[in-house]
Amino acid sequence: MSRRQAGWLLCLPALALLTLAFLWPMAILARMSLNETSESGMLVETVSTATYVKLAEDAFTWQVTRDSLVLSAGCATSALLLAYPMALFLFRTRSRWRNLLAIAAIAPLLVSGTGRVIGWLAILGDGGMVNAALHAIGLPTQHLINNWTGVRIGLTESVMPYTVLALLAGFGRLDPRLEEAAATLGARPLRAFWRVTFPLTLPAVSAGWLLAFVLAISAFVTPHLMGGGRVFVLATEIYDAATQTLDWPAAAALSIYALVLLLVLMLAHGTLSRRAAA
Amino acid sequence: MTHLVLEGLTRAYGGRPVVQGVSLSVERGSLLALLGPSGCGKTTTLRMVAGLEAPDAGRILVEGRDVTPLAPHRRRMGVVFQSYALFPHMTAAANVAFGLEMHGVPRGERVRRAAEALTLVGLADHAQKRPRQLSGGQQQRVALARALAIEPDVLLLDEPLSALDAKLREELRSEMRAIQQRVGATSVFVTHDQAEALAMADMVAVMDQGRIAQLGTPEDVFERPRTPFVATFVGRSARFAGQAEGGAVRAGGMAIHAAGLPATGAVEVFVRPHRIRVLADGDTAENALDGTIAAIDYTGEVAQLQVDTPVGRVPVDVATADGAWRARQPGQPIRLGWRATDTIWFAA
Amino acid sequence: MRPTLIATLTAALGLAAPLAPASADPARLLTYSGVFQDNYTDVVVKPFNAKGAAKVEYVGGDTSASMLGQLRTQKNDPQLDVVIMDATTAALACAEGLVEKITPAMMPVLDELDPQARSGGGECGPAVTFDHLVIVYDSRAVVPPPTSLRAMWDAKWRGRISVSAPPNIQGLALTAIMAHADSGNWRNADGAFRALKDLAPSVQTFDPQPDGYNLILNNTVTFATGWNARAQLYHDRSAGRVGVLLPSEGTVFQINTINVVKGAHNRDAALAFMAYALSPTAQKAFTERMYYGPTNSHAQIAPEAAARTAAAAENKARVIPLDWNEMIKLRDSWNQRWRREVISAATR
Repeated sequence: MSRRQAGWLLCLPALALLTLAFLWPMAILARMSLNETSESGMLVETVSTATYVKLAEDAFTWQVTRDSLVLSAGCATSALLLAYPMALFLFRTRSRWRNLLAIAAIAPLLVSGTGRVIGWLAILGDGGMVNAALHAIGLPTQHLINNWTGVRIGLTESVMPYTVLALLAGFGRLDPRLEEAAATLGARPLRAFWRVTFPLTLPAVSAGWLLAFVLAISAFVTPHLMGGGRVFVLATEIYDAATQTLDWPAAAALSIYALVLLLVLMLAHGTLSRRAAA
Repeated sequence: MTHLVLEGLTRAYGGRPVVQGVSLSVERGSLLALLGPSGCGKTTTLRMVAGLEAPDAGRILVEGRDVTPLAPHRRRMGVVFQSYALFPHMTAAANVAFGLEMHGVPRGERVRRAAEALTLVGLADHAQKRPRQLSGGQQQRVALARALAIEPDVLLLDEPLSALDAKLREELRSEMRAIQQRVGATSVFVTHDQAEALAMADMVAVMDQGRIAQLGTPEDVFERPRTPFVATFVGRSARFAGQAEGGAVRAGGMAIHAAGLPATGAVEVFVRPHRIRVLADGDTAENALDGTIAAIDYTGEVAQLQVDTPVGRVPVDVATADGAWRARQPGQPIRLGWRATDTIWFAA
Repeated sequence: MRPTLIATLTAALGLAAPLAPASADPARLLTYSGVFQDNYTDVVVKPFNAKGAAKVEYVGGDTSASMLGQLRTQKNDPQLDVVIMDATTAALACAEGLVEKITPAMMPVLDELDPQARSGGGECGPAVTFDHLVIVYDSRAVVPPPTSLRAMWDAKWRGRISVSAPPNIQGLALTAIMAHADSGNWRNADGAFRALKDLAPSVQTFDPQPDGYNLILNNTVTFATGWNARAQLYHDRSAGRVGVLLPSEGTVFQINTINVVKGAHNRDAALAFMAYALSPTAQKAFTERMYYGPTNSHAQIAPEAAARTAAAAENKARVIPLDWNEMIKLRDSWNQRWRREVISAATR
């Protein structure tokens, strides 16, 4: 058996799993999106693009698309801004607490979505810790949950651990000697960071941002649990159509639309970062 | 004139002493090699000079000025790192110009001086290449050009040749020495390779367990080691123990003559292979030993013989130019001799 | 796309269906899990099984929507025999031919049922439980106890109100009640939307998590929309803190119907269970246990239990005759009006 054949053979389990767990459901989804829902809510088996046409003609679809993109891009950016110094510190520290800190940084992954939201309510609620502190210094109540602000905070927090991990993985090849070299050549620490370290971490930054963006745009738990019914994004619309109004064709069509949107964005990102690297 | 002075530099990591009271001085324009086995503290010493590590105690003086409290970017010391630490996202020219930019040199002058530095190391044609497009030797030269471009007070080199293969290492070693002498940079060079240290340095400081075991010229260190460690670490030797008695060393039933021996006491004896001759029939020497050839290694210019003698195994180098070495076989008897002044001894 | 999204959709699509049982086994009943399961098992399923004629096995489901998902994916080989779910969802199952049509000829007990119970199921299975929309409130904060929905419009409850907005059917029910009170016709909701828009700034959440009852108990809100049976449960558990209001404006039924799955492997047992579940005995037992309204008019409910359900005459008089099948057709437009006219007026 040639080396090449062996390589293909080794990929088979993963390919089989991918087919079973992703491609097959996607095919079902694509088929479902071509059905229709009658006025009475009944599922009608047919082959038509009526569901897509209805979605495309509804201004709300475009509003939700815009809101989803803005929300996800914003959360990805803030998650990155928060994660970057943390990841850089974790990468550099020689402290014996390093592992503990690393675990703390990704701890949110270990808590269920619901548990996290209950925690956030205690912190961000109208009677929560933040508002109690604001009242104590004579400031008025800030609405920090059950609105877009709450979703931005919750979503940023929930994607940040992934961003930290992506950055840490990307920092792997960063040579600490480079900043020392810059220092011996007369660069002040901040200057050395901006001229040497930062440019070298750009690929990690770009990958981390994309990961955060993809996770944020497909998240439905946080917008659903922290939005107070005021936040409509693609993922919550899909969830509602699938489980509340039982309009499966609409849920499927929206899913396909979201998938295509993501693929286009990822291709654009790939092209841009390849161009930047060249 | 003394340019760089280290005074009692001391550094410990987590209670474990790494550098213990290193003091030395380097003359302007000369090259000092810090030579020692790994873990002896030589790289830590260099990093303290560069300001990349703070000493626990001691001072670093440049032209009599104490630079110990200064951050590395204020020291104006050119450093060539073992891994070169070139900036991978910049061209060779940009790497070299970086330090000039940091020192506020205007753009035009920067470009000119970077080009000069690259020309100095023979890489003028590769200015626009990224580090990953250059060979190891070329990267090493860019690193040297980058360190020299800022016209540093002191040039510090941390095992700069260790990542290269043997042939290239020898070529670059004389090239670097020539460049260093041409620009007249006061330099400190860290290496574990004694041949490199002896070939390149004006002065060699042999380090052992965080201390300087001997500071001297290459010849001093090689011919007149001051401690058994230096004698062992620098160069090969026959080595055996004995008792001083009546102006000679008693060892293996033999009397080995040496200069300046004490009246009595245990001594440790070293003899360099290049000082030992093979005695032909009828030849005499102040010290003569009969032995049996145990092994012969042909290395090119010389054949290295291992000879079993009453004092132990003795290495001898035999020139190969006349071809006579080919007649020798393991198991043959052989007679060795050397002068009394070539016997190196230490009171044990 | 993120795995959770796929997981949700595939789960909704019913790919995670339970494995098939052998036929002639107990009929498999799919309905809500949690406290509903505990109590329904105790007072309906166990007594039925104890009679010995046929057996039924309880399969805990999630939401009505996910139950419909299971029926849809098992259309060609049903693994379930009886299903109890929300009437609006059951209507889809009926229209899609997933459940059987039921006539008084095959199920004489139908003639004992309340007319709304018959109409609630259309040609398919009839209502087995009535629940109705209530307003729950913090009885420690709202003194004296409110009688009207209007209590929530008081400015002092700003930010203290939870309303489950459409597509949740609580939101649809609330709109219909207000429309009926405003115009005498639950379908004519313009006035209701104007009033809801005024309420909107007081609303803290349109999608309470985990639910309105718990938000009252943890002091997050003071008023919430709810269902009577669940509200009565929380009323008892909280020693009366959760107050339950059947508004003077009226209420609407939330109806659960019972259906036999088309092509059920255990059809006889399924029909036998349906007949028992609709009988006065079972209806009385479950109403007195969980305060769901009985759908069999012959059921003799104890007065104190009746007062806490829609069974008592004065409560029943307040139930608006709402046709959920007609409501489903209005749902999309009401859903949009909520988003555009109500929720957008309440940015926080």
